[in-house]
Amino acid sequence: MRILSASHEHRHEKYRITALIASFCLVLFLACNSNLSHINSNLGFSFYGSLFLVSFWWKNKSWLAPAIIIGIIVFIMLISFGFGSLLSEDYFKLLMIVLVVIVVAFLFERIERVRILNEMNEKLTKRTEKLEDANKELEAFAYSVSHDLRVPLRAIDGFSRIVMEDYEDKLDDEGKRLLNIIRENTHKMGQLIDDILLLSRASRQEMKFAKIDMEELVKRVFDEQKMSSQTQDVRLELKSLPPAYGDRALLQQVLNNLIANSFKFTEPKDERIIEVGAENGKNEVIYYVKDNGVGFDMKYKKKLFGLFQRLHSTNEFEGTGVGLSIVQRVIRRHGGNVWGEGELNEGATFYFSIPVGK
Amino acid sequence: MGFDELEVLLVEDNETDAELTIRALKRKNLANNLVWVKDGEEALEFIFATGRYSEREMHDLPKLVLLDLRMPKVDGMEVLRKIKADERTNKIPIVVLTSSKEDEDIVESYNLGVNSYVSKPVEFDEFTQAVSTLGLYWMLLNKSPE
Repeated sequence: MRILSASHEHRHEKYRITALIASFCLVLFLACNSNLSHINSNLGFSFYGSLFLVSFWWKNKSWLAPAIIIGIIVFIMLISFGFGSLLSEDYFKLLMIVLVVIVVAFLFERIERVRILNEMNEKLTKRTEKLEDANKELEAFAYSVSHDLRVPLRAIDGFSRIVMEDYEDKLDDEGKRLLNIIRENTHKMGQLIDDILLLSRASRQEMKFAKIDMEELVKRVFDEQKMSSQTQDVRLELKSLPPAYGDRALLQQVLNNLIANSFKFTEPKDERIIEVGAENGKNEVIYYVKDNGVGFDMKYKKKLFGLFQRLHSTNEFEGTGVGLSIVQRVIRRHGGNVWGEGELNEGATFYFSIPVGK
Repeated sequence: MGFDELEVLLVEDNETDAELTIRALKRKNLANNLVWVKDGEEALEFIFATGRYSEREMHDLPKLVLLDLRMPKVDGMEVLRKIKADERTNKIPIVVLTSSKEDEDIVESYNLGVNSYVSKPVEFDEFTQAVSTLGLYWMLLNKSPE
């Protein structure tokens, strides 16, 4: 029967319904056998009823349906024992028929539910396939963007430079300045392309879950940042961090962006401190990256994670405003949350939560 | 130019990229004996001395191949595969010089035996630096088997 498909969850349903039908037939047989006394029929019925009761409770963890069944059982028993002598065989048979109708209704309702579940399952599978196809198309698109847009960009930058070099003696200062503006803008555009790619990868990339040593990850990210920014005067205060359950590459990106921000925004300060720690929450671990940099005004805290949203001009601090968007996307994909607190000129703290592993 | 002292084979479909690459190599005097082909098909014909290059002496092989990946007709991966699969040509150093940074391209190239994979920088200074660095390394510093 198609409605009783072989899928895992429905196997139990199949056994249940088979058992119920079997015991029901038994009861019917007992009830319709005029050689047997009413007591045997009741026994049979009680047996059937309790089976029904247990199966309903087991499946639905609810007492409503069993309560109804108990009510019917009690009712029948009362009638049989109380009016047993008065009740004729025919009336009893009538009662059983009523019972048959009720039970069959229940059974069919169950069967219908299983069939609907199967249908929904199929629809879900089809939709997932469509989504996967759309995702693949997006990946191809992103690749195209990164590859094809960079080529003319390189040409613009390169040939502006060639003009500046080969025609140096024919260009005045203004000419050189104008050409430099062209080059600066190609640099910005290249940066934007890279950032958009990073962002799209953060959303699309398949996650591989594993237990991550967060302390080691933070140290590695910090050391890399320290080396590439070529400063010695940033200090890391690393508190003890519980391991996280997530995708290592993506979490590294998160820490990278947060710590890079801390590096960037503590630059005007003499003493630069970055503190990384964690607190245990309910079913999650909340990590934080705190710095004593220029901070931000809390009234803008809603804009922190917006795409390309910045709270500073490019003259004050470089960047495209994509770093925190990436952090938010990755952490959301892990099922966590991210938020920030800051105080102007005092510093900023960024928190992110990661649910405890399965 | 005769092909007797062939040094570099540049396989690049984009003309501006080719011009920038040649210019960068010229600065270090590495482009004196450079051949530029515009797609994979022509590259293979050149290396194996077939088709339009059947007059060429096949034993005169380039000392370095700079290979772009995405090209019309026959693409870079296919060229890489064919060159590395043939005993006569598989020792030629091949440097993939491409706009792509995608992991799959990197992995596939190394699987096929590429000697080096360089992602073309957008900025001209970086680009020039990268090309001249790799040119100097592969042509002067690195020793290839004869």
